Amino acid sequence: MELPKEKLLEMYKTMVAIRGFEESLADAVTDGTLPGFVHLGVGQEAVHVGVCSGLRSTDWISSTHRDHGMILARGADIKRMRAEIFGKATGYCKGKGGSMHLAAFDKRAPGCNGILGPSQTINNGIALALKKEGAGNIAAVIFGDGAAHRGEFHEALNLAACWKLPALAICVNNQFAISTCVDDVCAVEDIAARAAAYGIPGLVADGNDVMAVYEAVSETAKSIREGKGPALIELKTSRWRGHFEGDPQPYRTPEQILEDKKKDPIARFAGQLLEQGVATEVTLQALKKEADQELQEAIDFTDRSAYPSEEEMFTDLFYEEGRNV
Amino acid sequence: MKPVGIIANPASGKDIRRLVAYGSVFDNNEKVNIVRRVILGLDSLGVRNVFFMPDFYGIGIRAMDGLDVSLEVCFLQMEPEGTQDDSTRAAQLMNELGVACIITLGGDGTNRAVAKTCRNTPVLPISTGTNNVFPAVVEGTLAGIAAGVTALNSASDPSFVKRVPRLEIRRSAQLVDMALVDVVVSEAGFIASRALWDVSKIREIFLARAEPENIGFSSIGGLLCGLTSDSGKGVHIIIGEGNCRVKAPIAPGLIRTVPIKQFRVFEPGEEIPISQTPAMIAVDGERELVVKQGDRLSVALNLEGPRVVDIALALRQASDKGLFFEPQ
Amino acid sequence: MREITFIEAIREALRHEMSLDENVFVFGEDVGGFGGCFGVTAGLYQEFGPDRVLDTPISESAIMGAAVGAALMGLKPVPEIMFIDFTTVCFDYLTNQAPKVRYMCGGQVKKLPLVVRTTSGGWIRAAGQHSQSLEGWFTQVPGLKVVMPSTPNDAKGLLLASLRDNNPVLYIEEKALYGTAGPVPEEEYLIPLGKAEVKKEGSDVTLISYALMLHKCLEAAEQLAGEGVNAEVIDLRTLSPLDHHTLAASVQKTHKAVVVQEAYEMAGVAGQVVKSIMDHSFDYLDAPVKTVAALDTIIPFSPPLEDAMLPSTGKVVQAVKEILG
Repeated sequence: MELPKEKLLEMYKTMVAIRGFEESLADAVTDGTLPGFVHLGVGQEAVHVGVCSGLRSTDWISSTHRDHGMILARGADIKRMRAEIFGKATGYCKGKGGSMHLAAFDKRAPGCNGILGPSQTINNGIALALKKEGAGNIAAVIFGDGAAHRGEFHEALNLAACWKLPALAICVNNQFAISTCVDDVCAVEDIAARAAAYGIPGLVADGNDVMAVYEAVSETAKSIREGKGPALIELKTSRWRGHFEGDPQPYRTPEQILEDKKKDPIARFAGQLLEQGVATEVTLQALKKEADQELQEAIDFTDRSAYPSEEEMFTDLFYEEGRNV
Repeated sequence: MKPVGIIANPASGKDIRRLVAYGSVFDNNEKVNIVRRVILGLDSLGVRNVFFMPDFYGIGIRAMDGLDVSLEVCFLQMEPEGTQDDSTRAAQLMNELGVACIITLGGDGTNRAVAKTCRNTPVLPISTGTNNVFPAVVEGTLAGIAAGVTALNSASDPSFVKRVPRLEIRRSAQLVDMALVDVVVSEAGFIASRALWDVSKIREIFLARAEPENIGFSSIGGLLCGLTSDSGKGVHIIIGEGNCRVKAPIAPGLIRTVPIKQFRVFEPGEEIPISQTPAMIAVDGERELVVKQGDRLSVALNLEGPRVVDIALALRQASDKGLFFEPQ
Repeated sequence: MREITFIEAIREALRHEMSLDENVFVFGEDVGGFGGCFGVTAGLYQEFGPDRVLDTPISESAIMGAAVGAALMGLKPVPEIMFIDFTTVCFDYLTNQAPKVRYMCGGQVKKLPLVVRTTSGGWIRAAGQHSQSLEGWFTQVPGLKVVMPSTPNDAKGLLLASLRDNNPVLYIEEKALYGTAGPVPEEEYLIPLGKAEVKKEGSDVTLISYALMLHKCLEAAEQLAGEGVNAEVIDLRTLSPLDHHTLAASVQKTHKAVVVQEAYEMAGVAGQVVKSIMDHSFDYLDAPVKTVAALDTIIPFSPPLEDAMLPSTGKVVQAVKEILG
């Protein structure tokens, strides 16, 4: 585990950028300017940055509705991301996907699937293609504790194990599926334990520690690249805000949420960086300032951008040879 | 008869070592089975009360479910957090409750957590973790019986309960941390996933145990010095090219060539300073301490570590005394 | 011209495409060494090997997920769902996943070459959950094409066209037609999707159908000819998108129409054909458009009951007479 200083600082900045991005969306919901629903990943920044740091840019990572941060950590354009969330034509998906279908294929991030479960089985198809390609790339799929009970979880792991696909399943256990606590609906304490049912390795790692996530993911990815078959990682963490922005979270007490906030992954990483002498307070502040600036540019870009024209309702529906679709 | 305590750690055995080494997956169901056997062993010796550390999986609850025994089980009044601190707190409570011994299910890490607070209460360790030097691979029923024997002899100071040494890390005179088996100093880095498997980053190793039949970093000491488990000495190894190279099983399934610059056996009480800073210190297989530039830490061997039940000796002595013979 | 069976025609198209393009691969339950439950893929495994013809567990969701993922990556998967009745367990992939991914990502993915093969229809005494005609459900999915050949000639040409279409296509094979033989050119030819065909020219009434029912219509036409009625018979071939033009041209000529489907009476393709006629040819009609379909009940096992419940040639003739009279 050898990450150069520049990389560590970049990771810190990305975590801060993600927090800022998500919180600005929360503000937009309060203002009433954000259409539809967003599911914010505030508190899960270590997951997003740790996972992306542990994988190559040539790997594929599919993610969930709570993973704007994952796509940002992949290096996606923050302006086009925000524009998409606001339904503008300049968004990644021309405004036709929104937050729940946000994707940046040029960063090998197929993004969010609006149905829980299929992303896991679809990931196998991506892995199959990567196996055929033979360049040692892997297909990772992020899903939550709730989705781990869908039939697809089992079908996908079983098939991936049988076909020895280069697939990495990452379950982000933030303990709640909307209002349902994982303890009430999961028959086992650790979702990673289910890996044993499919004969593949299952690890648990601390999802609030970006370096622990990085290590778990990079080591597991190494094993998969060596042809040892798929694996399952469970990252234990928590989300600070509601399932969707606006959810008052009556199923949790303020004390519980406060306990979660004590495990702030950004504060923890900052502490580690300062302790190790990798950065000073001044450096960290400067990085935050950069991130804030980039966010403001994204906000301005979104505000300036127009909505798509009505013709776009019928583009991208079918592929037609010879036509510019 | 004094009560007995059981600390079964549901967390051990599910970390990254599953992947970077070939450690067995000790699933919690198997732990439940072991605890069942322990309970039956205890019950057969007439132990009446057992204290359990509560845990998320409910190992104790599941083990007792449907079990036909006379003894009574009580759960400690504590909220489990799902970390090693649970074991430390449980051991403290059990020590205060005056248990005859504490049976542990776990690896070196779990036992180290227990050893921090068990004081004079003997520990009876059953192995279920990855890197196991401290706990024994022992069948649960026998462990329960041996614990029962310990409870019967708790008034005296039986010879089958022995003190084992521990390594102590100090900053000036202050005790900072301790280890039951090994203290491994490597290049500065993050604690991250805690496990240690990259030999290239290691600078020096301090061992309380150095037998060739050990797994883990203490195997290096074992292959160099070949001590016995009751040697009462420590081994200090400095890693690097120079003296020799040793092919050692540093983790299950992981055999690595380790370059040895220097090594020596050292006496208890001798304070050995940690030479280079900054550094990362791992104790009993887990990265634990970040050492900053200029931080002056030292390692010493203290013979007054935890008391441990020698299961084979306990059973033999009890058998010799006719404990297992029923009246006609 | 040589005559081959429906099954042989499908297999020939698959073989041809697999030989031309190494990205084409077939997978599903028992399709490998066993050759498929109905023998359609027989010999392909032996010829192309386990990398091109893959057996899967009983995991329709995993199968369809892998197909979508592979197609996203530019491979050309041809998954088989053994019975259309089983598409229910992987319904999400045929509705929310494959047809939508291009649109929702705003065209970041251009081609989605995914042909899903499945079998359909009754007459084999397999009762309620193995005998259905469910094509109607899938015609209401934007982004999905639905194809259902009636002859070996059409089977080969439509399958080749589907395999080249770069869109999600549900290619439905009527089980009862598997053994039927007909003339099939040996060379490669494509039948365009979205084009119906006049199988028999006529003047007095237009009979519109597809798959096995198309043959019932031809039989009815023969009977009616004996009574001096010259029926025109149209084979839809593609159920979605519908060929409104061919339908309009015929009905505007004959002024009367009967639409026949093997699916349950309530809803389905026939209703949409009636709408098409209403929209484009209402002023040309001399009588209401009639439909003939399966009765709105569950397909019973007992043979005489199944025969009574499904449409028959007699019922088609009867319907024609009702609007002629």
